Amino acid sequence: MIGRKSCLLLKFLSAGLAVFLLFFPVLAQAEDDPNPDSPTPILLSETDSTRALTELPTTKTRRGNQLRFPNRAFSLDSQVTLYITNVELLKDEGANAFRVYVEDSKGRKYRFPVLALQSVKGFGGVYALTIKLRDEIGFWEQPGEDGDVLVNVTWRGLTSNRVKLGLGKTGGDIKDDAGAAPTPISALPFKNTDLPTSEYVGYRWSGDRIRFLEQATFGPTTALDNRIRRIGLRTWLAEQLEMPYPSGAYPYPDLPLKPTDTALGCPTGSPATCIRDHYTMYPLQTWFYKEALYGDAQLRHRVAWALSQIWVVSGLETQQASWMFAYHQQLSKGAFGNWRQLMTDVTLNPAMGNYLDMIRSTRTNPNENYPREVLQLFNVGLFMLNQDGTLQLDGQGNPIETYSQNDVNNFTKVFTGWTTCEVTGAQCPNRTQGAPNFKDPMIIINANNHDITAKTLLNYPGVTNQTIAACTGCTGTTTINYANNSLNQALDNIYNHPNVAPFVSKLLIQHLVTSDPSPAFVGRVAAVFNANRTNPTQMKEVVRAILLDPEARGNIKTDPTYGKLREPVQLMTNLYRQLGVTSADGASLSDGNINRFPSGLAQNTFNAPTVFNYYSPDYIIPGTSLLGPEFAIFNTGTSIGRANLGNSLVYGVANVALPDTPNGTRLYLAELQAIAAADTTSNQLLDVLNQRMMHGRMSSQMRGRILTAVNAVASTNPLARAQAAVYLVFTSSQYQVQR
Amino acid sequence: MKETRREFLIKSGCALTMTALATQMGHFGMMSAMAQKVDDETKVSAVPSDYRALVCIFLAGGNDGNNTVIPIHNDASVSNYQTYFNARNTQGLALAQGTLLPISVPRMGNLSYGLHPSFGTVAGGINPGIHPLWADGKMAIVTNVGTLVAPMTKQQYQNGSVQKPFQLYSHSDQVSQFQGGRSDTQSYTGWGGRISDLRTSPDNPGGLLPMITSIAGSQLFTAGQTTLPLAIANAGTGLNNVLNPAGYNTTAASQARLSAFNDLRGMDLDSQVVQAASHITNQAMTANAALQTFQEVTVTFPNTNIGNQLKQIARLIRKRTDLSVNRQIFFAQIGGFDTHNNQLAAHVTLLGQLSQAMRAFYDEMTVQGLGDKVTQFTMSDFNRTFNPASSGAIVGSDHAWGNHNFVVGGGVTASDFYGINTTNGTPFPTMTFNGPDDADSGTGARGRWIPTTSVEQFAATLSRWYGLPDANLPAVFPKITNFANTNLGFMQPPA
Repeated sequence: MIGRKSCLLLKFLSAGLAVFLLFFPVLAQAEDDPNPDSPTPILLSETDSTRALTELPTTKTRRGNQLRFPNRAFSLDSQVTLYITNVELLKDEGANAFRVYVEDSKGRKYRFPVLALQSVKGFGGVYALTIKLRDEIGFWEQPGEDGDVLVNVTWRGLTSNRVKLGLGKTGGDIKDDAGAAPTPISALPFKNTDLPTSEYVGYRWSGDRIRFLEQATFGPTTALDNRIRRIGLRTWLAEQLEMPYPSGAYPYPDLPLKPTDTALGCPTGSPATCIRDHYTMYPLQTWFYKEALYGDAQLRHRVAWALSQIWVVSGLETQQASWMFAYHQQLSKGAFGNWRQLMTDVTLNPAMGNYLDMIRSTRTNPNENYPREVLQLFNVGLFMLNQDGTLQLDGQGNPIETYSQNDVNNFTKVFTGWTTCEVTGAQCPNRTQGAPNFKDPMIIINANNHDITAKTLLNYPGVTNQTIAACTGCTGTTTINYANNSLNQALDNIYNHPNVAPFVSKLLIQHLVTSDPSPAFVGRVAAVFNANRTNPTQMKEVVRAILLDPEARGNIKTDPTYGKLREPVQLMTNLYRQLGVTSADGASLSDGNINRFPSGLAQNTFNAPTVFNYYSPDYIIPGTSLLGPEFAIFNTGTSIGRANLGNSLVYGVANVALPDTPNGTRLYLAELQAIAAADTTSNQLLDVLNQRMMHGRMSSQMRGRILTAVNAVASTNPLARAQAAVYLVFTSSQYQVQR
Repeated sequence: MKETRREFLIKSGCALTMTALATQMGHFGMMSAMAQKVDDETKVSAVPSDYRALVCIFLAGGNDGNNTVIPIHNDASVSNYQTYFNARNTQGLALAQGTLLPISVPRMGNLSYGLHPSFGTVAGGINPGIHPLWADGKMAIVTNVGTLVAPMTKQQYQNGSVQKPFQLYSHSDQVSQFQGGRSDTQSYTGWGGRISDLRTSPDNPGGLLPMITSIAGSQLFTAGQTTLPLAIANAGTGLNNVLNPAGYNTTAASQARLSAFNDLRGMDLDSQVVQAASHITNQAMTANAALQTFQEVTVTFPNTNIGNQLKQIARLIRKRTDLSVNRQIFFAQIGGFDTHNNQLAAHVTLLGQLSQAMRAFYDEMTVQGLGDKVTQFTMSDFNRTFNPASSGAIVGSDHAWGNHNFVVGGGVTASDFYGINTTNGTPFPTMTFNGPDDADSGTGARGRWIPTTSVEQFAATLSRWYGLPDANLPAVFPKITNFANTNLGFMQPPA
């Protein structure tokens, strides 16, 4: 933790002397980072085949007899015990840290539930993993009992070897993976190997530095990479969590509230840019991109951006940029604040009030829009969850609904009567004559608009405020006080619902790290969320827990299901930051007018099509059983659109065009051009791109193929060589997926 | 120019080896068609001799059917204009009787009902809209359709003796159920996609495009187990450019780069996420090769988003012979129907755009000689509460249930209301708060009609006309057996 003194110092430093820090990292009270790499799990097989070990050897067989059940097969729905080793478990880490994937001879993929994990007596370091032979996803019908399937176990973003398991019978068409070899129990050392922990400050795992920066910022830069190499992840996180926001260079613009009638807001004689600067999202978008490309407070910007995709307010229905800035301020506060506080701040924010209609919901004409979404999309979700985010099921195996239409009706009553803050005096400091007040929180002015009848709210074990009594005979101030109390009680009733921690944790993990996190990952973060429920900086702990989780960290990720498709916004900002970005003429900085690029790929920044965001967190990647939210906006059309974004960024330039594009934007290629010129084999060029864009894990096959294409460009044109190389990496699926 | 299948394969496979293509396209319905693998159960059916297409137009957000199809008559035996006026006028949501576009409804004893005024000629419009198609016998209205697990009375709704669709009134779930074709559980595939899974090989052998195309992005309706739909931009972009990677020319260096761009998608497929992205991009590149030429449509389309979506569909249909497709399913979408507020003005715009676009598309199909071979139909999340939300100039309505949907085309049997009768013995619900057709009860009842016709019955009627064999109905609509009548009669018999 950072002390108060150093916190102040940091604020001072980052105000203008960030460079100073680079040379005196010790001032930031360095924290050590342990080795991020988890061992790779090994799924045990029989002695001389790749058939899964499903029974432990007896003392007798251990002494030398072969352990073989070559014809052993299992029926669907039966329970089978597999054995794994080479894992190191955290305290409380258990069955839900593991997932078991199965592929059949048709190439269909399934996920089988893991029922239990137990350490095995007498075999140090070996764990028994009990699974049920039944697909738990349901994309395909259940696999046929017609022969061997291949099984692998994933853990913390790593995968085991694959072994065969007879389903119904043994044999069949499926082939072992190339190079697969038996992993018999007799061949393994049965002990935990303690990995060395870091003894010095800094973070030497270069692949994971890039991965970390992809998760915590709008893209790694060479400067940040170097800095984390020196000071480590934890120290950098501590700095980021105290950093002023927005960055000094990009303060929130102070836009006045304007009349709803644009003819009054921008009367004849106003500057040509009046409409643009007040009645469109242009100021917010350009501000957002400048902070993303160049700002120091990257982590907070990134988390606020994630929150804006959860608590969605769309510019499509928000008239003025000033309204949306006021809203974004609440989200950025919430990014490192307390979730319950964020719930209040958003509920009473007029931009949300306008978007989901609470601003016009009254006792006699109630509106269900906000009450429904505050439950469904923002906090609780549709179904009862376990603390690791998995679904609770009833006796028939069906999910259990969290609320009914009746609950929505009751919350609707609570949320009636609020409107924009339009009374004289200190209560509404931003009140502007002739313009609705979208800066101050909403209030109740006409008490008669609030529904004072009794309400019955969510019910759950250990429920808080399940009922709110009627306010019999109340009028005026008494009603207003009652309404404000009711709102707080209702939000407490929601906040204390057991779903909130896993629901919110999983959404944030999906935005920052991986689309289909293991339940154990969700559970660890949810536990931190719950442990900090009353902490005013609860979300700092949540964000830290997400980014330092063993499933997020590690130099190498081999799990075939790990990672996430880059959303268009970050696809673009990552490339710009990884290679550098300037104004069109290269002499100054981008003006941030680059929303046109992600907008063409179904992500029009701050203009989500509906409250369901650009994509759904529950979207399943077609043909798989994997969650992949961003795939909801990845189809034949946008896949080529992404390639064409690569063409625009690498070969093109966003030229100066007044008044909206005063500086323009250009990808910085001079450095790569120089590297290509200096090394006509292009090997150095590929090395640099591999490290900056691919965590140093570009396959030799991929590298070789790009190298051939790059060298098909004349060596006398090093810029074209650099462009070809960047284009091919950027447009590859290997880069489009961040893993 | 018509390409042979062999020429096409050569073109599309330019940089991909066929094995790489096959590996990466394991789930691609088109690939299975190209390989001419024929499922056992469909082996007997012959390749269709005619062309047919279904065009789904999704009204996203939940269209207020109560302000789209309205009783004009004052017959006291069923809900009439006065019923409607009394329920909606105070808050300002009632449309004036004289502005409604009359239709005479045989099923209702030829009583007069009215369509929203935007379905006729509109300011700035380019055609007469779809209202005249009623008199021409080319438009059916399927009333009180909604998500159902099984038929359900108000009493059953209240006592829970029949399973309810899960998460009634939630946008995302009701959309999924309409598009997924089942309401008892979450769907990973849509009913359009499942038809495509079953019918691509028998109906479109040698087809150069998937059976399904969306002009509105990735949609559950279009997703099958083995079908990945095509998703392309609207007519603002020519067909030759919708999937064309930019920036390449004929120089050796450029061609080397294109070749690498394609080959990279055959690598590093051990990651399922990478594989999925490559798979979709491969499909795009394959389709791109087939779309390099196209002919413009004849009829003028409105220059709106929905107009340009339907125009793009019309271009693809015009190219059907080149593409070797006999059966196609299309998906278009018009958003903005979640009118919790400001509904009156929004509805005028949205329904006007819808009607203008559907009419242009209908006329274009007629010009192409396909008037009775292409059927447009609407779906939407749900109806909206009969009782308005808010009041005055900003009046809107909230989420409800059973709704009215439109079917337009020469394949329609006759212009009429279709669907299963409600408690009043007609297919049009009794519009009474806390009445026999209102799911809500008590004094706060807001008018959410319990559907009498399920999504499955509506969809099965369309599917049968399209050519889906009856034997395939349960595979496409797993809960269809809960409903007695799977043919509502609004479509002419299949060819």
